[in-house]
Amino acid sequence: MNQLDPETVRGLRQVIDDFLATRRDVKLEKLKPDDPTREELHAQYELHTWLADAARRVGQIQAATHTLKAIHPDARGTNLHCQPSTLPNCELIGSRLLGDTYCADVIGNAAALDVNKFLIQEYQGKPLLAWMRNDEGAVIAAFHADDAETARQWMHAFLGLNRSPGNNASHTLAKQLYWLVGDDPLKDAQFHLLSPLYASSLAHSVYATIQKHRFGEKTKAAREARRNTHYCEYVLHEYPNLAEQKLGGTKPQNISQLNNERHGVNYLLASCPPVWRSQSLKPPYGTTSIFDRFGRNAEVRFLVRDLRTFLESNPAPKQATRNRRDEALSSILGEVRILAEEYRTLPPGWSADSRCRLVEAEQCWLDPKRAVQDADFTEIWQRMAWMDEIKRRFGNWLNAMLGDTLPVGDIEHDYWADLFDDEEWRCQVKSDLRDSKKEAKHV
Amino acid sequence: MSECPHSDGLLILPRLRIQNANAISAPMTWGFPSMTAFLGLMWALERAMNDKYPLLLNAVGVVCHAFEPQVSKGGFTKSFCLTRNPLRKLKNKDDEKKPPSIVEEGRVHLDVTLVFGVGGGILTASSEERNGVVKHVAELVSRMRIAGGTVLPGSFSRRPELIALADDDEKRLAQFRKIRRALLPGFCLVERNDLLDQRLQLLHGNNSDATRLDAWLDLSRINWSASITNNDEGTESVTWRHDRSSGWIVPIPLGYAALTDVQEPGTVMNARDTTTPFRFVESVYGIGQWLGPHRLTDVRQMLWYASSDIESGLYRCCNDYTQAL
Repeated sequence: MNQLDPETVRGLRQVIDDFLATRRDVKLEKLKPDDPTREELHAQYELHTWLADAARRVGQIQAATHTLKAIHPDARGTNLHCQPSTLPNCELIGSRLLGDTYCADVIGNAAALDVNKFLIQEYQGKPLLAWMRNDEGAVIAAFHADDAETARQWMHAFLGLNRSPGNNASHTLAKQLYWLVGDDPLKDAQFHLLSPLYASSLAHSVYATIQKHRFGEKTKAAREARRNTHYCEYVLHEYPNLAEQKLGGTKPQNISQLNNERHGVNYLLASCPPVWRSQSLKPPYGTTSIFDRFGRNAEVRFLVRDLRTFLESNPAPKQATRNRRDEALSSILGEVRILAEEYRTLPPGWSADSRCRLVEAEQCWLDPKRAVQDADFTEIWQRMAWMDEIKRRFGNWLNAMLGDTLPVGDIEHDYWADLFDDEEWRCQVKSDLRDSKKEAKHV
Repeated sequence: MSECPHSDGLLILPRLRIQNANAISAPMTWGFPSMTAFLGLMWALERAMNDKYPLLLNAVGVVCHAFEPQVSKGGFTKSFCLTRNPLRKLKNKDDEKKPPSIVEEGRVHLDVTLVFGVGGGILTASSEERNGVVKHVAELVSRMRIAGGTVLPGSFSRRPELIALADDDEKRLAQFRKIRRALLPGFCLVERNDLLDQRLQLLHGNNSDATRLDAWLDLSRINWSASITNNDEGTESVTWRHDRSSGWIVPIPLGYAALTDVQEPGTVMNARDTTTPFRFVESVYGIGQWLGPHRLTDVRQMLWYASSDIESGLYRCCNDYTQAL
């Protein structure tokens, strides 16, 4: 056992006394000077009385890094305190990466959370709980100068905050999923039952980072600088489509201590697919050919430049070359199809607007549902001559895109056009035709 | 490192419309459902087929055609559109009713195409027999939950297909070109954890304490920085640039890591059954990328499979996009 340092004991005692005095005074302020309960309060916050009571109540709370109630507020069961550095090494992102600088959560009876506040009071930069672990003599002496045995019992009770629960339990409202660890899903024995808990300490670290990036002083200054195109050395961080999930509704303290500190906000980073961007799409007014627009698309330009560089290198006429060329063409065609498909999702009839300067064939291609409202258009559409026109235009366009330095002519033109006329395209036209006939009946 | 199981063929279920799938894929991400949900679907489907057909499912790929999250429009952050649930009786009080406390859930409507890597004798059977099986499997799927969402009836506007992949590399490439064009327009999810290492190295240049968690967050956001350039006339001008490249990079959950040892069956109270080993886990994350299918050169690049390491406690979804490049 370490030699008792009276300075340390005095210091610890001072921290404890200050903590109790502050809490007591806050409550006293709310009472009238002649309130009879003032006496009771003084007694309640007397050192030994409070410690004995706190040591009893500490059993109602538990420190944890992984909690269950955040998964569902009515779920009851095991919460875990896993020191991040003791978790197995893993290349993926998880609590393990927090290292030693993690912040533990506390769960249990919210009325006993003041005990936790007490345990995280710091002396010389170290919380009381850490002092109990490292220098129990000093803490015992600070708790009770005369009755070391009682003080020791209190301390052991406090140290129980980090205990792991005796019996493991899950809950019907907890998440539990079957994971196949073998290779035959028909055999029950090859599954494990996994129950994910909420990584509160990890969430807290991420929350702190995001909060700093969204509302910090430096962020405000940097935003101002960007708005006025001034220089600022601080990097601005934006989290696109960040979502806020509220845990615990209006009572975040019912979920856990850290959840309360986060005001019940759980930040969710977005992993949405890119289809979202098409919602702000406008009809292509003012242009005569949609292919001109496609040609300005960064992705298409990149792919075409790639193909041109390849063809300009005069590759030997063998199978590998043809494959590489078809590969590139297929990518370009794919990009064109995606772009076209976005325009096809616009409200039907947009091409009838007087601002629309697209040639007829392209109107048919990109606004097929207009046929339902417009008899003249239907006739043109169903004659299907526009299909050949689109193919021809695609060939022309690609030739023009490649044409400056390459000797591309009619043969290439026909090849590109044929490529456009694939099964997918025919399938699409067929289904457009079917739809227009079906809907025409109802109009 | 495990490798994507070999598949002799593909089972394609095109354009499934899924309503109210779970949009909160893990405690730290939202958007597209987790890949773990699609692996779970694959296992459940195989169990539903119950050895009736010579068809084995090895891996699964997803192409997303439409994505309609039920979230608030506008605002700096998104919040989820919630449902109001029926009143329920309070305990011990017969006459008083209250709505249950709100547990926020995220929902999304999806249009997806599922591509299963398959093996088994069915691939060489007569086309009649194959069609029968495919029809039955499609029917099974339409009755199942996908990522917690329901499959809307009548959504098989295109026919599901079972395709035997050619042995010859060239033929297989031509075959895949045709398949992937049918997947357009849409985007499929691939794993890009290689970017994490890259970004970490970059961060280490400024801060030697940076962790993989920092790198992950850095990839999940847009970082704007200012730079000063000198014009010809000697004046300075400031430009703000962001670091988003053209790739659509997103943070995704990739599976689960163990928090405890495997618990003997029956020792954990309230477990779903008393015969399966039980383990407490947490979600673990990585980086993914949404890619147009026309950017892929091999079907293996879009397939996901499970890998489990019981010893180190990692239950993970894997995708070989980077390895198969």
